[in-house]
Amino acid sequence: MSLNRFDQEADPIVRLSDISKRFPNGTLALDKVSLEIPRGQLLCLIGLSGSGKSTLLRHVNGLHKPTSGSVDVMGMRVSEAANKDLREVRRHVGFVFQQFGLINRATCLENVLSGALGRLNWPRYGVRSYPKQLRRLAFDHLDRVGLADQAYQRADTLSGGQMQRVAIARSLMQEPQMLLADEPVASLDPESSGQVLELLLKIATEENMTVICTLHQVELALGWAHRIVGLRAGKVVLDRSAIGLDQRDVMDVYQRVDVTGAPTSDEDVPTSISNS
Amino acid sequence: MSFAGLFGGFSDVAALIARMLPPDFYQLSGIISATIETLWMALLGTTIAVLISFPLSFGAAKNTTPNKFVFALCRGIITMTRAIPDLIFAAIFVRAFGIGPLAGILALGLHSIGMIGKMFADALENADAMPREASVSTGASKWQAIFASILPQATPTMIGTSLYRLDINVRASAVLGLVGAGGIGFIIQSALRSLDYPSALAAVSVIFIVILAIEFFSSKVRASILGERSASVVVVRSQSERSIRRTGRDRTLLVDAVTMRSLVPPLTSDRKSRIISVWVYVIMLAIALGTINMPIFSSFGYFDDAWRIVAQLVPPDFTTARSELITGMSESLAIAFISTTLGLFIAIPLGLLSSRNIVVRKMVFVGTRSMLVVFRGIPELIIAVLFVSAMGLGPVPGTLALTLVTAFFMSKLIADTFEEVDPSPREAIFATGATRIQELFGSVLPQAMPALVSQILYMLDVNLRSSTVLGIVGGGGIGFLLLGSIRVFEFGTTGAVVFSIFVVVYAIELVGSWVRGVLDKAN
Ligand SMILES: Nc1ncnc2c1ncn2[C@@H]1O[C@H](COP(=O)(O)OP(=O)(O)OP(=O)(O)O)[C@@H](O)[C@H]1O
Ligand SMILES: [Mg+2]
Repeated sequence: MSLNRFDQEADPIVRLSDISKRFPNGTLALDKVSLEIPRGQLLCLIGLSGSGKSTLLRHVNGLHKPTSGSVDVMGMRVSEAANKDLREVRRHVGFVFQQFGLINRATCLENVLSGALGRLNWPRYGVRSYPKQLRRLAFDHLDRVGLADQAYQRADTLSGGQMQRVAIARSLMQEPQMLLADEPVASLDPESSGQVLELLLKIATEENMTVICTLHQVELALGWAHRIVGLRAGKVVLDRSAIGLDQRDVMDVYQRVDVTGAPTSDEDVPTSISNS
Repeated sequence: MSFAGLFGGFSDVAALIARMLPPDFYQLSGIISATIETLWMALLGTTIAVLISFPLSFGAAKNTTPNKFVFALCRGIITMTRAIPDLIFAAIFVRAFGIGPLAGILALGLHSIGMIGKMFADALENADAMPREASVSTGASKWQAIFASILPQATPTMIGTSLYRLDINVRASAVLGLVGAGGIGFIIQSALRSLDYPSALAAVSVIFIVILAIEFFSSKVRASILGERSASVVVVRSQSERSIRRTGRDRTLLVDAVTMRSLVPPLTSDRKSRIISVWVYVIMLAIALGTINMPIFSSFGYFDDAWRIVAQLVPPDFTTARSELITGMSESLAIAFISTTLGLFIAIPLGLLSSRNIVVRKMVFVGTRSMLVVFRGIPELIIAVLFVSAMGLGPVPGTLALTLVTAFFMSKLIADTFEEVDPSPREAIFATGATRIQELFGSVLPQAMPALVSQILYMLDVNLRSSTVLGIVGGGGIGFLLLGSIRVFEFGTTGAVVFSIFVVVYAIELVGSWVRGVLDKAN
């Protein structure tokens, strides 16, 4: 199977073909989703809470397997890949979580270093168990997110915005081709969420990374993204280039079809939209 | 067993203590070297247990185990080793490895796996799963992710547990000598046998002081290693701050920007004390290994003999000593139930006296508390040995000893429970004009009841374990048959005794956790 060989240069870098996901409890989280994402594209995924955004992202790096359909990332059929192959793909795909996923008791430096594990052979414990040149590299990445001066501070002594920046530095440590970000700023206050998101997207653009980012801040999405994809109840209901798209088009995604069939506004609509 | 007999026992003990006074320290050098041996035994036993428990716990934690089979196996080993008391392991190992500290060390090592392994596995299971998912997403392998993100969350608990167990093992190793497994227990036993009571008291008081001192130190060390507040913070100093300095209280280490970028973590006070602790441990370990003569290193054939004896435990032989097995086990159960009940009657008033929210006078509760702390320092089997020497062999001295131990322990648990009682209903009852006693029964006891019941169950569990070993020092119960079967080389019967103890202890534990579960749901 030539398709199933890892290929860093593959384009489109991600191909989702007709994937559906039904969880063991019966929830249908994704319903026949198909997407092709060309290399270098910055794609924003929007949709109501529960529409399947996180589930979709998790399929891309194989944290979830689809019930039907197939997921190909960099030429690898992730939906069927063995563990070893999955690790190969994940090494090149950074994942930024809403809850950061930092090791609280460890220093920032150690958290960043853990991003290099995929390239190393044995389990590591503590900063000193990583090679010196990796430690140097980790400092460079911390510098890039503006936290080199906090290198030896414990992660749980940082502010939320700083924590997410450490998590971004950990992803950079992977030297990823692609970045998946799941509401990276949703647990931050408005000011730091703006800063962190700018930082994330700026770095991604500079490095020419492919990005899939789920977001609730629609203006930010419109400002940075090349392409906007909207999900509703597990289905793709919007897939457009961000150029020429205005907020009204996007608002439709945030509407629910009620029993009578008439679209109604939902209370989950982000404030930034209802205000405008 | 009659109640008259039980209470008559106390006067015999008083007479014995009178004969012990004053303690005679003519054997002091022997006592000191035996005490040191006791400490090294505890250190080595705990080390062995930690070394085995560490890998075991990864198999026994739901989130790290490779598969169901490994999980069941590791949990099984942990449950087995916890259910079989260390003194029983020691009695068997003395036969297999000969008299001396090695048998004691192995016994401590094996039995401690039960607690250490369980606590380690629980610590791993309690770790937050998010960082692990993040690690896996970077392409880390399963074990890389576990070491990078689960283990750091569990290490504080692991270190705390190991130190705490070391504490317990110092106490336990003091009595292992009673079956010939090395340490100070041996000196106490032979002094009592030769009716040299003042010398026995000298040995008891030395080990008693050492136990209290170790307990004090280890709680200090634990607090300094684990206290969350003690976490040092490293901060880059601003221009105005001239040099590296530490601010006293919040343990902030100020460093210049260059130091902050060094590839080696800066020396915070935490790191310093950690490094010192590790070195102290390594040095003590080296001394312990050098001091204690362990034939295991000198000959391998020796291991063969030992294994042959251990192998004879299976299959267990239930027929040869069937009636002794049944009477012994029922005697152990009876001792456990009676001593728990009697101990509870003593513990409730003592507990009330030592809780600060019930007794108004500070003198009283502080006095009672300190007295209890001191008495809890004495290992229960030492108390049992004293009672047996005063009253002769049999279940009565054993029951009395366990009763006292129960009283000392329960009163602390009870006092803690009373102190946690919510004060607002109490005020409401006082407001109705109730007396102190009415209030006690009307609001304090009902609130404390669920906790009390689970403490009683816990105590019963502990006492059952203890009552199975009392027989080893002549205090009645199944331990007597165990020792007898080892003496006459009937290892099949020994196996049967060990098996029965395991089954009964495990059954009581299951019943206990079931009742606690029901109580939890009721709340
Ligand atoms: N592990 C799981 N087991 C069962 N159901 C799940 C699981 N994960 C998600 N779901 C369900 O799948 C649906 C989609 O969830 P998902 O987390 O992808 O939504 P989302 O768009 O990310 O929402 P949010 O904006 O709140 O993060 C929801 O109905 C959710 O309850
Ligand atoms: Mg989500």
